[in-house]
Amino acid sequence: MNLETTLLLGSIIVPALGSLLFFYGFPKDGEALKKLGYIIFGFPCFAGIVLFLKFDSADGYCFEFLYDRMGLQELGITFHLALNGVSSPLFAMAGIVGFGAGIAAIHSGADRLPLYLALLSLMLSGLMGLFASVDIFFYYLFHEFALIPTFIMIGLWGGRDRRSISLEITIYLTLGALISLGGLVALNVMVDAPKFDFPHLSAAISQTSLLDSSAYKIFGLLLFGFGILVALFPFHTWAARGYDAAPTSVSMLHAGVLKKFGLYGLIQIAVPLLPQAAESWSPWLMWLALGNILLVGMVAVAQTSFKSMISYGSVMHMGYCFLGIGACSALGAGSAIMLMCAHGLSVALMFLLASFVHKRTNTFEMSEMGGLAVQTPLLACFCIAATLATIGLPGFGNFWGEFGIFLSLGESQDHLWFLVIAALGIILSAVFGLRAVARVFFGRQSDELNEQTKKKPITDLTKVEILPASLILGSLLLIGLWPLSISPRIDREIHGKYSQLDTQNSLAKPACCPVDGEAPSPSTVE
Amino acid sequence: MISLALSMLFLPLLSAVVTLFFLRKSGNIASLLSVCTAGGILVLALALIFNFDEDVMAWDTTWFTMGGWELRFGVLIDGPARLLLFVVAFVGFLIHIFSLGYMENDPARPRYFGGLSIFMFSMLGITLADNLIMIFVFWELVGFSSYLLIAHYFHTEEASKASRKAFIVNRVGDFGFLIGIILTYWTYGTVNLSELADLADFSPNLATTVLCLALACGFIGKSAQFPLHVWLPDAMAGPTPVSALIHAATMVAAGVYLLLRIDFLFTEEALGLIGLLGAVMGLYAGFCALAQRDIKKILAYSTLSQLGYMAAAFGLGAPGVALFHLTTHAFFKALMFLGSGSVIHACHHEQDIFKYGGLRKRMPITAFTFLIGVLAISGVNFLSGYFSKDAILLWAYNFNMPIFVILYAGAVLTSLYMFRLYFITFEGQARSDHSSKAVENSFLMTGPLLILALLSIVGGYFSLYPTRLGSYLGPDLAVVSNLPHHMWMVVLGTSAWIIGLLFASVFYRKVDQDDPLSMRFPAFYEICKSKLFFDEIYRFYVDKIQDPFARFLEVMELLFISGLLVRGTAGVTALFSLLAKTCYVGRIHAYAFWFMLGTLGFLFYATGLFD
Repeated sequence: MNLETTLLLGSIIVPALGSLLFFYGFPKDGEALKKLGYIIFGFPCFAGIVLFLKFDSADGYCFEFLYDRMGLQELGITFHLALNGVSSPLFAMAGIVGFGAGIAAIHSGADRLPLYLALLSLMLSGLMGLFASVDIFFYYLFHEFALIPTFIMIGLWGGRDRRSISLEITIYLTLGALISLGGLVALNVMVDAPKFDFPHLSAAISQTSLLDSSAYKIFGLLLFGFGILVALFPFHTWAARGYDAAPTSVSMLHAGVLKKFGLYGLIQIAVPLLPQAAESWSPWLMWLALGNILLVGMVAVAQTSFKSMISYGSVMHMGYCFLGIGACSALGAGSAIMLMCAHGLSVALMFLLASFVHKRTNTFEMSEMGGLAVQTPLLACFCIAATLATIGLPGFGNFWGEFGIFLSLGESQDHLWFLVIAALGIILSAVFGLRAVARVFFGRQSDELNEQTKKKPITDLTKVEILPASLILGSLLLIGLWPLSISPRIDREIHGKYSQLDTQNSLAKPACCPVDGEAPSPSTVE
Repeated sequence: MISLALSMLFLPLLSAVVTLFFLRKSGNIASLLSVCTAGGILVLALALIFNFDEDVMAWDTTWFTMGGWELRFGVLIDGPARLLLFVVAFVGFLIHIFSLGYMENDPARPRYFGGLSIFMFSMLGITLADNLIMIFVFWELVGFSSYLLIAHYFHTEEASKASRKAFIVNRVGDFGFLIGIILTYWTYGTVNLSELADLADFSPNLATTVLCLALACGFIGKSAQFPLHVWLPDAMAGPTPVSALIHAATMVAAGVYLLLRIDFLFTEEALGLIGLLGAVMGLYAGFCALAQRDIKKILAYSTLSQLGYMAAAFGLGAPGVALFHLTTHAFFKALMFLGSGSVIHACHHEQDIFKYGGLRKRMPITAFTFLIGVLAISGVNFLSGYFSKDAILLWAYNFNMPIFVILYAGAVLTSLYMFRLYFITFEGQARSDHSSKAVENSFLMTGPLLILALLSIVGGYFSLYPTRLGSYLGPDLAVVSNLPHHMWMVVLGTSAWIIGLLFASVFYRKVDQDDPLSMRFPAFYEICKSKLFFDEIYRFYVDKIQDPFARFLEVMELLFISGLLVRGTAGVTALFSLLAKTCYVGRIHAYAFWFMLGTLGFLFYATGLFD
């Protein structure tokens, strides 16, 4: 086992072990607990970044780890970890967001902190495993690992209505997960693959002729199962309520990372395995995604609470990812992955910053804030940057994802109207994003805040708060300014998987007429 | 070449980053750094313009690839790029220096100068970009820096609203621009400007009017043309040097520059529409300016009007003339904005012109340079505005009479509202404490004014332009000089500013706290002041349509999706559980009964009674 594989395995085992330690009340001392927390939450981040840098996109899977004596070989299930071009950036993103969420949790001052950290690190372990799994069974299993702590944490540390919301979210997401599991198992049974992972399924599908009708049904299961998990309109109501009530670290990890599970499944597994079925479902998906963008976007405009605005905004931006998937092309799917990475970072950053605002003002109601930028210029600076990132300003990663998705929609004449309507979203998100910034940071201070300031002066960000925020913001800027840092590996992986779809589409491509040699090309000067 | 261009482009970004990380608390160093950066940009820009012989210089590298689409990060330096580069670097540098004086007492100087540097970065990016997507990227970034700088006095409600309005209205334009870019890509297979030019040459029928107009949306948003003009007057809430740099000389002119860059795509219909829009804007903004009391708003409307002239020139098929007017306008409008900044600074941030008066004696340099600006914009003979504006008028006279009539009326109005501004501000008696105690500003502020005044005088003599700068203007201006009716145009043009001047001196030589127009022609004054209710219409849309609709959707979501669908499903499940529960009554008879029923059922099934 070489260093990279150890890191990959470690990023799952370390938080899991940490969870056990925290759970059994070790260490007792508060300071030591914090230090251990830094190590436990820092390790996956470190591993994610190292593996991201070491990734070599030439081969499909890197850093493979295989343990096939689980006793489940008869079912084709093996413990198989590796990263490919799509999962490698998401894995790093999960690590970074996990670190941010971990630091936020360590300094959150929650009561029963060890238990809180135990559950959060268990969740993180599941998230890292999710993106590292090649085997679909374990991919699913790790998702459940991450999901269950969510419910407990919302139920124990959540805000208003936490019990009913945690129940709703439990039932809703379990349902979604169950439907998608049904689809995955059905697929495996139908094609009778020797192993339950993408390469084997793919090979098996090309050999057996899967009936179009059954492929259509299976894809429907996967689409709606995964769709529920990603808050596809109209199955999105759990998300806004859930994030609203969840403690910050949970919102960060869930909205930022866990929600990408469904999209990841669709892009990495469902669409490339069942391309024809994906094409026939694509109009459905597109219409529902427009629901996400326009209707949920409008609902976000109506929000008066900072946190629920972020929640609705994050649901809205999932619509773009769905559109990218619905475009059924390498460009669309690859851009959706770009957006997933960037969105994971930006939405986690927004939740983190919202909690910093809350710490200072004791409210999420925007009407009770105002003028905060005077006392907290640095927080305002971060918050404006994060808002602009979420609304897709160039220079931040989100822009490339959104732009690529829009571009992929322009490819086919049938999608042109989807493009026009979806692009309205860039105005909508600017409306609610900038409105929030103005209400929270600009203008005059509200009376409520004045009262509060008299009691206790508001201070700007502390070092502990700056660290996770700048780590996340830095990654967003890196992707935004230098998209080549992640795009070639995604491109290579997606290109192979979506070649079938692209050749189908190429017939519809408009003719362009290059005129090499006929016109003088501009002289190039070095 | 390329190392020069890239270092010029990234220098201001570096300066902004350094300011953000290390100089947040040290205003003096931050401002010096930013001014030095602007100086460095000017030097590099001059080197880039004059040190090379090639007419077109290009370079590019891969920036982003996905699914068979490759975006390149490229630089294209040709005639128009060189001229705009000069304007941006030169005017930008002067305004940086002016800012040193204007912002001397501002506590948030690092933020201000950092913002200026980000702006310089993005504006240079637009100037150099060699493809539409790159232009779009920097396009959005200038929008961002404009947002940041308008929000400089963020603690005021006005700046908070204006910054948001500017960004969102620009986004509306960018929405169309984005769609236009995507259509262009899928129509031509490229977004590179030089390749597009070749393709458009090769197959001129590919471009559709829809595509052109979608692209022109970007121009309409950024250059604040009808119907997206509402953000520019409000943007005056920012510091005055910002208004001079961003909202007069460079950023708003970027819209016109975009049109020039893609002029080969435009169809006849699209050109006609843009020309008409521009001409109408030229007139409409003139009327609006007539009823304004805020010195910066008058100048803002005047900017709108002059941008309309540029659009009209472009629409009439004279992009070179449009760029010529852009250049001279950058000089005299920056001059007047800085002049107004000088006045505002001396009068303790009083902006109502009826509270000024008699400033000529107290601030001679400002008054003198401002007068030159007024003369130049009014088109007084042999100043810069005379050459560029009359070139547009002459072109219109020869090719499109209705547009000429509109533009001519606009020219009369320009002279009228400009002399109004001048008379009320600088002549007569001081009408407030602030203006009676005003003193001339330091050389940091008057120096840039003098240089810009000089350029406003000589900027119209095309023969003074070095070939490296004027190469794009040459052909169109040569056409202008050969057009018929030249003498007639001189008479008409001169009459336009003289009429304006006469009216202004009759009306505005002697004023008090009230606008004479509002007393003599109240109805006309009210119409001008209403600005045809565009702000009210948009306000109505936001307050009465968009926000209620958003709240309505929120309720619907709660009612139907959360309520009916989610809770409803939960309710149905609960109902079944209730029914199932009734079977468990806890008495042995009941269970025996159920058991018997089950056995019977099994028996019937086994004997085939159900078949």
